[in-house]
Amino acid sequence: MKSTKEEFLEILSNYQGILHKVSLIYFKNASERVDNFQEIVYQLWKSYSKLQNRNSIGSWIYAVSINTSISRIKKISRIEYRETLPDMPDTSDIINELSKNESLKLLLNAIYKLDEIDRSIMLLYLDEKSYDEIAEIIGISKSNVGVRINRAKESLKQNIKS
Amino acid sequence: MENNELQKIWRSIDLEITQKSKDELGLLLTSKARQTINKFLCIIIISIIVCAGVLSYVTITALDRKEDLIFLINNLSLGIITTVALLSGLFSWYKLRNNKFDQPLRNWLEVRIRLLSKGLTGRSSKLYLYLIPFLYVLIVLSIHVYFEHKLFLEVLKTEESLIALIVGAPIGIFVSYYAARKIRKYELSNLAFLEDLYGRVINER
Repeated sequence: MKSTKEEFLEILSNYQGILHKVSLIYFKNASERVDNFQEIVYQLWKSYSKLQNRNSIGSWIYAVSINTSISRIKKISRIEYRETLPDMPDTSDIINELSKNESLKLLLNAIYKLDEIDRSIMLLYLDEKSYDEIAEIIGISKSNVGVRINRAKESLKQNIKS
Repeated sequence: MENNELQKIWRSIDLEITQKSKDELGLLLTSKARQTINKFLCIIIISIIVCAGVLSYVTITALDRKEDLIFLINNLSLGIITTVALLSGLFSWYKLRNNKFDQPLRNWLEVRIRLLSKGLTGRSSKLYLYLIPFLYVLIVLSIHVYFEHKLFLEVLKTEESLIALIVGAPIGIFVSYYAARKIRKYELSNLAFLEDLYGRVINER
């Protein structure tokens, strides 16, 4: 029989993509992403024993990952916090890491121009989550999810074109 | 650009992600847990040492000066304020650390804002701005009087003590007040950031 930790690591291993993606949309710097990834793992472990609905593991992982990342943004950006991002965000770190996938780079650049909340909503949309799931993870109404996704999509498309 | 085209582009991100093995994830978890426990122990130990140090000093010097009532009152206030301030500080830090992350973003923000607001905008929110300079004055007075080997009132009557107090106290008060204000300003900016995020989450435009 598997121990709780082994069971947790098994789940984490299967769903780790979520942690990587959430860290990627919030942190441009590689070392900040590594730290954030580690913090999410720890927060997930802390709340794992209280996880009741094993059918919604994905939603639980998204919620913990997003909340943890948001709690770290202010800490990390203590030196240079900017409420609105500049027109040309500094994504050189990521651009160097990503392969030659130009469309992905453009999309990622466009995501960085969204605010923190819309970034989460767009990530969930891009990961093909249903409106119900997005509403549950963010804690807003389903109709509001629709409005926000449409607005953010328009913004993304414009940012990609420009 | 079609809507699902964005999703199609995004799917390719999976190829860019380097998956970690279960062993690596286990190591990450163990090292983070160890770091957190060490940090936690460090904060607790420093608080206990500070608290124990102040209380020992206050008790030892008070026993040595049983006949000086003002000195005893000064030391008693110093001991009580330091202990209460450290305990309440530790308690709020512990509560903030245990803020549950496994809930919808909106609820998580609500809880965190409520926790931070209590200390920053509540009735006694500005208390520690004045408490820190006050503690400074109590400590300086206690040490100064004790090492002068005279009664509290006698020490205050000497010219050197008065000059030292007039010059030293305002500088110390200003520095401690400035430090307390700086910390408060940083915490307020944290709160404003969370409130701004919350405002954007509940905005049903």
